[in-house]
Amino acid sequence: MADPSPRKRRRPSSASDDSSAPFRNRLKPDSVILQTLRSLAAASATSSSANKTLTLADLDLSTSCREVTDQSLPAVQSSIESLILKIARSILAGEGFSFDVPSRSSGNQLYVPELDRIVLRDKNTLRPFAHMSSVRKSTITARILHLIHQLCLRDIHVTKRDLFYTDVKLFQDQSQSDAVLDDVSCMLSCTRSSLNVIASEKGVVVGRLIFSDNGDLIDCTKMGMGGKAIPPNIDRVGDMQSDALFILLVEKDAAYIRLAEDRFYNRFPCIIVTAKGQPDVATRLFLRKMKMELKLPVLALVDSDPYGLKILSVYGCGSKNMSYDSANLTTPDIKWLGIRPSDLDKYGIPEQCRLPMTEQDIKTGKDLLEEDFVKKNPGWVEELTLMVKTKQKAEIQALSSFGFQYLSEVYLPLKLQQQDWL
Amino acid sequence: MEVGGRESPVEGSKKRGRSKKDGPEKSKDGSVLKQKSPAEFFAENKNIAGFDNPGKSLYTTVRELVENALDSAESISELPVVEITIEEIGKTKFNSMIGLVDRERVDEELYDDYESAKAREKRLAKEARTQEIQAKNAALGKKIKEPTSAKGIKGRGEASFYRVACKDNGRGMPHDDIPNMFGRVLSGTKYGLKQTRGKFGLGAKMALIWSKMSTGLPIEISSSTRGQNYTSFCRLDIDIHRNIPHVHLHEKRANLEKWHGAEIQVVIEGNWTTYRSKIFHYMRQMAVITPYAQFIFKFISDAPEKNMTIKFARRTDVMPPVPLETKHHPSSVDLLLIKRLISETSKQSLLQFIQHEFVNIGKGYAERLIGEMGDDFIPKMSVKSLTDQQIVRIHQLFRQAKFDDPSGDCLSPAGEYNLRLGIIKELHPDLVATYSGSAQVFEGHPFIVEAGVSLGGRDVKQGLNVFRFANRIPLLFEQGADVVTRTALKRINWNSYKINQMQDKIGVFVSIVSTKIPFKGTGKEYIGDDITEIASAVKSAIQQCCVQLKTKIVKKMQAREQQERKRNLAKYIPSATAAVYDVLKVMAESHEAKKKRYEEEDVELLTKISEHVITKDTLAEKLAQHVEQVDYEMALEYATQSGASEEPRENIYIQSLDAKKEYLDFTSQIFTFRLFL
Repeated sequence: MADPSPRKRRRPSSASDDSSAPFRNRLKPDSVILQTLRSLAAASATSSSANKTLTLADLDLSTSCREVTDQSLPAVQSSIESLILKIARSILAGEGFSFDVPSRSSGNQLYVPELDRIVLRDKNTLRPFAHMSSVRKSTITARILHLIHQLCLRDIHVTKRDLFYTDVKLFQDQSQSDAVLDDVSCMLSCTRSSLNVIASEKGVVVGRLIFSDNGDLIDCTKMGMGGKAIPPNIDRVGDMQSDALFILLVEKDAAYIRLAEDRFYNRFPCIIVTAKGQPDVATRLFLRKMKMELKLPVLALVDSDPYGLKILSVYGCGSKNMSYDSANLTTPDIKWLGIRPSDLDKYGIPEQCRLPMTEQDIKTGKDLLEEDFVKKNPGWVEELTLMVKTKQKAEIQALSSFGFQYLSEVYLPLKLQQQDWL
Repeated sequence: MEVGGRESPVEGSKKRGRSKKDGPEKSKDGSVLKQKSPAEFFAENKNIAGFDNPGKSLYTTVRELVENALDSAESISELPVVEITIEEIGKTKFNSMIGLVDRERVDEELYDDYESAKAREKRLAKEARTQEIQAKNAALGKKIKEPTSAKGIKGRGEASFYRVACKDNGRGMPHDDIPNMFGRVLSGTKYGLKQTRGKFGLGAKMALIWSKMSTGLPIEISSSTRGQNYTSFCRLDIDIHRNIPHVHLHEKRANLEKWHGAEIQVVIEGNWTTYRSKIFHYMRQMAVITPYAQFIFKFISDAPEKNMTIKFARRTDVMPPVPLETKHHPSSVDLLLIKRLISETSKQSLLQFIQHEFVNIGKGYAERLIGEMGDDFIPKMSVKSLTDQQIVRIHQLFRQAKFDDPSGDCLSPAGEYNLRLGIIKELHPDLVATYSGSAQVFEGHPFIVEAGVSLGGRDVKQGLNVFRFANRIPLLFEQGADVVTRTALKRINWNSYKINQMQDKIGVFVSIVSTKIPFKGTGKEYIGDDITEIASAVKSAIQQCCVQLKTKIVKKMQAREQQERKRNLAKYIPSATAAVYDVLKVMAESHEAKKKRYEEEDVELLTKISEHVITKDTLAEKLAQHVEQVDYEMALEYATQSGASEEPRENIYIQSLDAKKEYLDFTSQIFTFRLFL
């Protein structure tokens, strides 16, 4: 791995730039900023090693909750087989059949503040075959069970798309087979990766990280500008090493490309990750693995709009759709670095780069204010209230109005120097 | 027939005022101040009366004549029979009618439609190209489109002429009044307020002006009133500059058939090709809103294949009442109107004037109003002696004071029954619901909104089909901005009534009647969307219809679900059993190969699978049995819920009381069965 050489790339800084790139003169030398980062990393390492992460079992909750675990292939196979045997007997007895599927509706979700993530309650819904409203779903469920059973026998991985194409006529569109797939992993109490079904690659990572992917050693500083695609199958990933001081989570591909091209991770040793919008399972698993193994602080750079915060919450507390596996998918203690609503005025982002929020945006913002994961952080509540009040939003790209490299050369260093995260 | 009757003098004076304004402009070159006659004004601004172009003029002529005919028949409570004939007149025939000799073109290049050598080359090349493409398409087996009829380059001179005739069974006109009724624009003397069909009250007069402008031929009128032993025949045109009739022939003829009514014939320039569909739509929608009338529509031309006759039959003899004339509501009058009312009133004192010339003012209230006006008003003062300032004060008070809303009694809505009948008659929809709202008020004028919503039917497009009626005449143009269209498109959530806005054939019918329809735009073709009173009344009327439809739709859907349940469930049996069986088969194989151990009870099942005792078909059969059973149970449940109404009924005949008392009694211990002979 390359030595930390923070000033490899010359910053084109001069006095004349100050007018176009405000606040540049407030920047202290990089060594000072690095010092703050080091202390942050050290604090993070000690804190995460000090208190062991809580699990659902540690808490004495009044409602019982459902959580899934990684299971071996034979175990998955056996549970499918016993389920099928039960169904076969029921059919032969002339009683038809029905699946008892855990409900993943929003009414069955619970935010647990102690764990700081969403978990699934144990309410089930019956999915009988001989009923108009559920005949389709129960047939699809039987078909998916059959397909997964085949995967177990052969011990291969397929993508969700593959699965869909095995019986397009029955599934009609991929969202239906995807939803049933999640139902099946709930029913069998195993993670989706245990079913050997993966989603296609979406996330990318670049920066000061070395890991092994299926035995091959990957150095993420030497992956070119685009970085390394995050492997869809987290089992293949291991041996993580890094000399980074923090992980930078980026919402948008555009900002990621800017940071990667400017080799931001060489100036301030870090690992840069993006899932290009809403995070997929693989990226969330990867982020959690990095956080757990490397014990680095995670800083997030998202748009200043309700969706940016929503994406942040999916990384942090999990999505409602996958809440049954939130234990494996969520990364605790993500800091909101930017762009925050208060930054719009603080950095004097010009009026033409701010967008008015639509009715829908404002409604989403107000709904978020009611969510528990926002309420637990008073800083976030304050920022979100400001956003809803000013009715303005801005994307990360709004910073480009001061020059394309303003983000990597002024905004982020200044943010880090001021320890301006929530 | 009251052709000029509905022109309200206020409108007339406004228009006259405008025409006077034109005067000074003209006097720039000459010092003579020119007066313009109302007929001249309309001749110059014919677009405001709906005579924008020849096509529209043909359409407007038809509608003016039809509406006059309906008004005339309704005014004597006679069920209307209206016969409209449009006859296409070729150029030669037209020329012979006006006594012009057809002349051959000598200097071809003089004409606008002359095809120069270059243009011909271009045209031929284009034709060759299209032929080539067609040949290619034919070779590829594609469906060949009908070759678009080579449109002859139509020169400006190629006007088409039509004789429009309309015959009705209405009131007819007194012999001596006919010239003035047709030959003088804005000659109405009617005073008061009434729901009327016409848009401008110009009636056939505008058609006459148009015929004078385009063909120069006079209008022909025959008419007879009830019980009259002669018919009047009159051929006349109009002296536009002096606004007086110019009578060619005015005579009495024998009335052998005891006919009463009017028949009007006018020859005008028009365009049948482009406005044919509009005229059809108009006739069809007219038939919807007036199902008690009979319309016969004929089109005659030289080409026999284009001829047609459409008969819109009468379906009911219930006619809405004739709209009553009403007095003005105090909150709707303006200064000019008050002045006119004062000059025309027969009442002497201010008190009597206020009490009798307006609606919703009783004697006590009139006294209170006069007391409020100020010190210089006393109830007994002469109404004619009021100064201009005092009139302004009255107007102000009328604006601010509170009055009861005018009642809708003076209105004559189509009626829910008629609307429903009209929709069923013309569209043959699968489902229809109608609703009639109560009278509401906008700016002192009462209005009633009636609505109908239909689903499915003949000749109905997918999606929303909006039919608008104002004072019982259809509105066809400028649909986009209309309050009804906007409401139906944007403010009704069709989904919540189980109606698919894109796929279902929805007919939305809204009829608004009022003493004054707040039209927007010059053409008076739509009602603006900015009047909240009307918009909300329209919305709630449509919603009421939808609520009625929803229950019917839900019932239908349930019934359909009942019928299709078994089939829908059975459809999935093969997929489900195949999935289960395939897993079982794999398990049985691995059990045989001793790869995996299973529980005792499972072994039994797996052996049966490997011995083919249980096959895929066994599973499918068992599942089908289960479906059958569930279906039976649910059908039973449905029948209990929906009640016994579905069961077939048999007629019961009850013996009439005055029947002969011949019977046999079969007596048992519990009852007696009596058989009448």
